[in-house]
Amino acid sequence: MSQANQFEPKIIAYVCNWCTYLGADLAGTTRLEYPANVRIIRLPCTGRIDFNLLIKAFEIGADAVLVSGCHPGDCHYSAGNYHARRRWILFRDLLDTLGFDLRRIYFTWISAAEGRKWQEEIIRITEETRKLGPYRELYQKNGFRPPAFPLPPKLPAPDNSRMTANEQRLRETCTRLLTEGTVHVVIGYGAGGPVFIRRAEDVGKLVWNTDCQANLATYLKRKEIRRLGKAAVVVKGCDERGLVILEKESQVDRQTLRVIGMACDGMGQPKCDTCEVHQPRFADEFIGEAAAPTPATQHAAALDALMQMSPAERMSWWAQEFERCVKCYACRQVCPLCYCERCIADKNRPVAIDTSATPKGNFAWHITRAFHLAGRCVGCGECARACPAGIPLGLLNLTLARAAEKHFGYQAGMDPKVEPLIGSYALTDKEDFIR
Amino acid sequence: MSDILTKAGLRELAKEWIAEGKVVAGPVQTKPGLVLYAPLASADDIVWEGFVRPANSVKEFVFPRHELLCRYHLEGNRVELTNGEAELAAQILLGVRPCDAAALPILDHVFNWDYRDEAYNRRREATTVVTLACSSHDESCFCTSVGLGPQAERGSDVMLFDLGEEFEVRCLTDKGRALFAGKTQASERTAPLSKGPKPRFTPEHIKQFVDEQFASPFWQDETLACLGCGACAYNCPTCHCFDIVDEGNSQNGERVRNWDSCQFVQFTLHASGHNPRPEQGSRQRQRVLHKFSIYPDKFGEILCTGCGNCTRNCPEGQGLLTLLTEIEHAG
Repeated sequence: MSQANQFEPKIIAYVCNWCTYLGADLAGTTRLEYPANVRIIRLPCTGRIDFNLLIKAFEIGADAVLVSGCHPGDCHYSAGNYHARRRWILFRDLLDTLGFDLRRIYFTWISAAEGRKWQEEIIRITEETRKLGPYRELYQKNGFRPPAFPLPPKLPAPDNSRMTANEQRLRETCTRLLTEGTVHVVIGYGAGGPVFIRRAEDVGKLVWNTDCQANLATYLKRKEIRRLGKAAVVVKGCDERGLVILEKESQVDRQTLRVIGMACDGMGQPKCDTCEVHQPRFADEFIGEAAAPTPATQHAAALDALMQMSPAERMSWWAQEFERCVKCYACRQVCPLCYCERCIADKNRPVAIDTSATPKGNFAWHITRAFHLAGRCVGCGECARACPAGIPLGLLNLTLARAAEKHFGYQAGMDPKVEPLIGSYALTDKEDFIR
Repeated sequence: MSDILTKAGLRELAKEWIAEGKVVAGPVQTKPGLVLYAPLASADDIVWEGFVRPANSVKEFVFPRHELLCRYHLEGNRVELTNGEAELAAQILLGVRPCDAAALPILDHVFNWDYRDEAYNRRREATTVVTLACSSHDESCFCTSVGLGPQAERGSDVMLFDLGEEFEVRCLTDKGRALFAGKTQASERTAPLSKGPKPRFTPEHIKQFVDEQFASPFWQDETLACLGCGACAYNCPTCHCFDIVDEGNSQNGERVRNWDSCQFVQFTLHASGHNPRPEQGSRQRQRVLHKFSIYPDKFGEILCTGCGNCTRNCPEGQGLLTLLTEIEHAG
């Protein structure tokens, strides 16, 4: 027996039923020896592997995780591995921002004939993990206090006189839509929050000013609002990007929905900082002309500053941020793209994500929320605005938006003709991290 | 005659408490524009001014958002249960707002009504509340509408009044006196009475309205903007609903108590799929009903201290006050 205190890494391997599992089986029947450190979990297909399983493996004590499936072109469900590859390209960047140790996560293609490759990979992974030692940094706060991030800038206050003129035009447009009977309700901004105007004589309640920050497209998902009948919704350029996604995902019917696009010079808010669409593009009614956008990159600078830290420091930083999460789900409820009838966080038979506001429950929730918006989030910034604990959730979304742009040249909600990023794949997707 | 303590003196005192191993919590500038009640790593972390009130509440310190009730271990037919946390440090809540302090006696009712809740009471008994009387308020504040005010003493062990360089210290309970005995100086200065926000509604009107208008379309019409998150309830000093869940596997795990909110769809969802509160209107109605009718009927007081946190934390600018002023006008 070896020394009792010698570290033996635990490795969890999620493998597909058709290729890698048979590859591992072949290694066994051909008497190829490999370390017993690996625990195999067989799943139908890599495309069927929920990436939360990777996180769960670490939570229950894994020191490394392997995902392995059929080589490209060999998937027994034709394209499952292509979908897995694309998702993994994005998920990797998200985990990197969160400070997971990417050296402990492996992705390979191993066919049913590659018993020897399975043996080699497991030997390699075990040795490498043994060198890294036990994974102790997971969700740990190490007391590290990061340098203060650059503060969001005070963007120049928008020209209010222009806004007042547009407010008048907005009211006129809504009067027309309601009088003609084109719509039954206008979802717009009022002095104390969103208003739902059902009679032309109430259009005076509509306002257009720098408090109009909410993304009203989120109301289109609510059954209480849908019941009011044909709707017109007031959107800014950023909000409208969300409508593009909602239409693509068959959540809104543009035949019946009227979109009132407001030119927006920014609301002077941090979320306007990364905005690229000041002028709505696909609305039915356009109101106003946006001034040329001021390029600003401070929000992005915060992400850059975060990425300058080491992974363990990043994880510590997020652990401190998530510590304030109370699981009120305001981030989910304000998001126009979080429209599931029953959110995975609400599933309790069995529980998919701990409802507890513990490091485990909080990381699981925020990873899931961000990743379910991969290639969909339009950067409207509502999640961070809504968070009562001031958690900079936008940085997670920004990570994925950047990953989508970097790896796939994709920007969510910009071009209605482009295929959704998740749910499609290309044979040319990069796989430089897959062996 | 009054007792005063300099602000520097209080800081030194807080340092002593921390050094003694007590948990001292108070308003902390978590990030620009956000003040939250949090345990103080150092007595210097506390902020006394520049904000109306923290965005969360102190209920967290007696009724945490996540609380371990017990651990289980299953082996064959044997079940082994072990208690949650063993030792609990004494905790001092410093710079609490009167609307937060007043919530604690309200919570006491519910956690000692038909069952004495151990987890709650042990924390509550270990807690001393040092309240700072308010010197400012904003348009979300409505303590004066629910019978409280900027200098309300309810639930506090000690009241502090800002005199500039010093605090006037009024000890109200033995717990409070134990903390400040011998630490203050006698003085002629006393704090002036401060004015609270103008009353916005009368609770009797609200109760009458909610009791009579249960089936009114008012609830649906006036709550369309509500998105159904828990930001109002979770930052409310008096909301106290919870859910008990088991987390773990078939051998080992924990039974925990987590906050829950009546604003969530799932709060009343039956296993059959039926939901007796199927819409946000009925869920909002429940919140008002509980605070202004059900709780007063049962315990004789309103389940709201007028802190306004629901309004400040609502992403869509709603909150109880929006609804209550509508009711006041409608009724």
